[in-house]
Amino acid sequence: MQRYIKISLLAIALISCEETTDLDLKQTPSKIVIEGLLTDQPGYQSVEISRSTGFYGSGQTPRVLDATVKVTDDAGLEFNFIHNPRNHPDSAGIYIPEVGFSGEAGRVYTLHVTVDGESYEASDKLLSVAPIDSLKFQINENEQDDPKEEGKFYELLVYAREPQDEENFYLFRYYRNDSLIFYNPSDVYYSDDELLAEKIDGVPSPVYYASNDKARLEFYSLTRNGYVFYNDLSTILNNDGGGMFGPIPSSPRTNLSNGALGFFQVSAVQEKETYIE
Amino acid sequence: MLRNLLFATLLVICSAAAAQEKVTLNGYIKDADNGEELLGVTIYIPSLKAGTVTNDYGFYALTLPKGSYEIRFSYIGYKEQVRTLDLQGDVTLNLEMQTDAQVIQEIVIEEKPLDENVVAVQMSKNTLNMNQVRKLPALFGEIDIIKNIQMLPGVITAGEGSSSFFVRGGSADQNLILIDEAPVYDPSHLFGLFSVFNADVIKDSELYKGGIPARFGGRLSSILEVRTKDGNNKEFDVTGGIGTMASRIAIEGPIVPEKSSFIVSARRSYVDFILKAASQDNLVHFYDVNAKFNWKSNNSNRFFLAFYTGRDVFNFDDNFGFEWGNMTGTFRWNHLFSERLFSNTSIIISNFDYKLGLQDAVQGFRWISNLQEFSFREDLSYSLNTNNELAFGYHLTGRRFSPGEISPTTTSSIFETVELQHMYALDHALYLSNLQRLSDRITLDYGVRLSIFQNIGPGSVYLYEDPKDNIDIHRTDTLHFDKGEGIKTYINIEPRLAVRYLLKEGQSLKFSYNRMVQNTHLISAGTAPVPFNTWNPSNYYLKPQVADQVAAGYFRNFRQNQYEFSAEAYYKDISNVTDFADNAQIFFNEDLSTEYRQGDAWAYGLELFLNKKEGKFTGNASYTWSKTMRKVEGVNLGKEFRANHDRRNVFNIQAAYDLNEKWVFGGAFTFSTGRPLTLPAGKYEYGNYNPDVLTERNGYLLPSFHRLDLSVTLNPRKNASRNWKGQWVFSVYNAYNRKNPFTIYTRTRQDEDGNILGDGSEKEARLIYLFPVLPSVTYNFKF
Repeated sequence: MQRYIKISLLAIALISCEETTDLDLKQTPSKIVIEGLLTDQPGYQSVEISRSTGFYGSGQTPRVLDATVKVTDDAGLEFNFIHNPRNHPDSAGIYIPEVGFSGEAGRVYTLHVTVDGESYEASDKLLSVAPIDSLKFQINENEQDDPKEEGKFYELLVYAREPQDEENFYLFRYYRNDSLIFYNPSDVYYSDDELLAEKIDGVPSPVYYASNDKARLEFYSLTRNGYVFYNDLSTILNNDGGGMFGPIPSSPRTNLSNGALGFFQVSAVQEKETYIE
Repeated sequence: MLRNLLFATLLVICSAAAAQEKVTLNGYIKDADNGEELLGVTIYIPSLKAGTVTNDYGFYALTLPKGSYEIRFSYIGYKEQVRTLDLQGDVTLNLEMQTDAQVIQEIVIEEKPLDENVVAVQMSKNTLNMNQVRKLPALFGEIDIIKNIQMLPGVITAGEGSSSFFVRGGSADQNLILIDEAPVYDPSHLFGLFSVFNADVIKDSELYKGGIPARFGGRLSSILEVRTKDGNNKEFDVTGGIGTMASRIAIEGPIVPEKSSFIVSARRSYVDFILKAASQDNLVHFYDVNAKFNWKSNNSNRFFLAFYTGRDVFNFDDNFGFEWGNMTGTFRWNHLFSERLFSNTSIIISNFDYKLGLQDAVQGFRWISNLQEFSFREDLSYSLNTNNELAFGYHLTGRRFSPGEISPTTTSSIFETVELQHMYALDHALYLSNLQRLSDRITLDYGVRLSIFQNIGPGSVYLYEDPKDNIDIHRTDTLHFDKGEGIKTYINIEPRLAVRYLLKEGQSLKFSYNRMVQNTHLISAGTAPVPFNTWNPSNYYLKPQVADQVAAGYFRNFRQNQYEFSAEAYYKDISNVTDFADNAQIFFNEDLSTEYRQGDAWAYGLELFLNKKEGKFTGNASYTWSKTMRKVEGVNLGKEFRANHDRRNVFNIQAAYDLNEKWVFGGAFTFSTGRPLTLPAGKYEYGNYNPDVLTERNGYLLPSFHRLDLSVTLNPRKNASRNWKGQWVFSVYNAYNRKNPFTIYTRTRQDEDGNILGDGSEKEARLIYLFPVLPSVTYNFKF
């Protein structure tokens, strides 16, 4: 809903011009970045550790290969994570459980990371997520008139029941033929349920598909902490800069301690897929 | 406290009644051509070295010992009048002043009394002369007084194309903007490209930046008082204009000649035309309607009814639209209880609202928000004797804040109706002040304002485990309040003091101190407010903002008042300045109180101002150096930071040259240090995203801003011989086409069509600028 306010503020862009400019920026020491994901699905837990770089840096940011990583839960269990066991070059900096496990609804998980003698911790709770009833698709006429990508103008329609007796937060991931997609690279698809009625009938997706595409939607539960993080992340990724009308840019609020960037997300996941035919 | 204040007032009035050897001279002063009351006319008695000025209603009263006096009436742009009167009893002298046809002559023959700049006790005040403003260049040729206010010393802007302004370190919401005494909560059209003030109906406007009189209150940093014309009470006039951006028309005339008149004006834009999006089904427009009616029953009773409404409407082709607007109404009754006791009674209403909506079967919604204000004011002035003029009064204001209601537009919508609770506030203010002439050199204006502010029910207050935790929000209890029940009361005493010490040869020193208290807070986390921001009253969690300001200045006139110069320095300290937590969610948040952060702000600066008001060449130049800092717990890690509007150096010049009766040339140049902004100190990867690393708030400055605007006004010679008076105004905005920075944002490096360049890991900074060189033509007419 608040995105409509943001859209409204873009009205000023109708009269503005812009160009790329070079900034003379202050250098700050690089910071540890942790992207942790623990779900209720087997084989879907990982912790990726990297470092921030200068604004004008190019290529992948530096990976951290020698961290010690473990997760504990509120039942006293401990899960050790090891770095890239199969030594896959694309998985540098990614830590996965030494012994596979799945998260359980209602449990609180705590991540412990140690890099160069510095410790970072974060906790998050695994909340359940309502199932998606069904997916349908239809042609979006505006997109068909002027598609961003040739031939891609089918939108997914989501049907679900939003539980009204509890406060829920969601993160959505859309896949096209198993590739994660975004309409704009800075889009974050998330929601709270404050304004949502129970009957969610035919909410269109923000991304578009071509015929014969396989469309998949993943539906993640978030804690309020997770919602706050993704909302803040979306705000800085889509900031008008320097807070002219929008808020002054500021780092997303995270559950990680000791100044680490990123987030440790614990989620239940539901998925649904369909073919556009 | 309240009783003591009332008692003191009565005491002063009673003691005044005892001194009976005095007589009172009073009256109204008007423009001879159209009957408009003139405000700020100097009435001066050389033999007593005493005088006064007409008040906001064109009324003056002087209490003097019996005797024969020469009395001089002078006003900028008008012929001076000298009357000799033998005052043996109370005398009412209403006067009409002729505009000075000789204004464009450079020669000044007679000695004039010093004008307001040096003599008035009031410092830190600027008056906009509408005749002068008309000669200056304007964006799209659309004269906008807010843009002229932004050129005054001590006033800072967020950037071009913005109607917000910042006075002496204050935030944008700390200015009380009044149209015919009614507050305007958002003075912007098109997000600030223009303001709501249609120049055709404005009589004059004044900006108080310091030494604020006790009759004003409610905002910390400035009072902008805009007064509209009463309407010509001698003959019918139609004025109007056709511009690049908007057209306007005003009709005014007598209802009963000399007794009653009206003015109605309207303005509508055709912005759609200039927008790039004009080819699509996007409809964007704004309009303003002003109407005023007055009835001067007799010298003792005058009635005014003023009305304003204006609106912006945006509609986009995907059925999304939004709009906002102000509506104000003022009823005023000027009454003379006696020769010496002048009363103004006002009833004022003001409404601001915005709406957003989407027409869609599944995602359709309507979002509405509004703020309503009703107030009653009684302001009195009493001319006690030659040396004392009292002003006192009582203001009662009630406000209802409806921050938002979202409802579905169709039964199949995924949304449900959610409404944020309304908030109510009641505000009482009592004030008393005295303008006292201590000696030929020293005059004081001292007073006090008492404000009693109440946040009242109906309403609920949530209690939290930690009221400042905006992530893990745990409500522990809810306090319920019935209708009219006090939720929180704040009582503040605001002392005001101004001193003027007259030096020799047209020079004076002035000093002032004021305390201001603000109980309505704008909920805005950006630099420039937007119409979608809401307001909150001081409440259970939000304390009143309090500002103390001291200012001192040196004032000097040169060459028979042709040049006015002032140098002022100020220091302002604000406690409980309202700010918001980093990443605050300010829209539609039921737990908004967890986002409030209040702290300290301090500002100081030096303002130099040179003004030439008469002659062929007129204009002003100003230089301001200022510094504005903040320190707020929970913002920028509690470390002090530069305020968003902390622009250290500002230089402005505006000038007009009346070549002859046909041609007038105008120019304006502005330079200012760039606005502080927050830029990244690095970047990192998170999933597919590459967000910026942000450290220090407002740690960088945008590049400097400078711009030159030019205009030429042509008054065809044939105007003289016909009823229809036409006028062409040609102007060029940003004459040397500087790309002035509006803001900077960052994104993944991409080409102009939005295709990612490289592997998607690289970022770039984009500078946004608004207006290139913009020529415009406006045709104005009058008949």
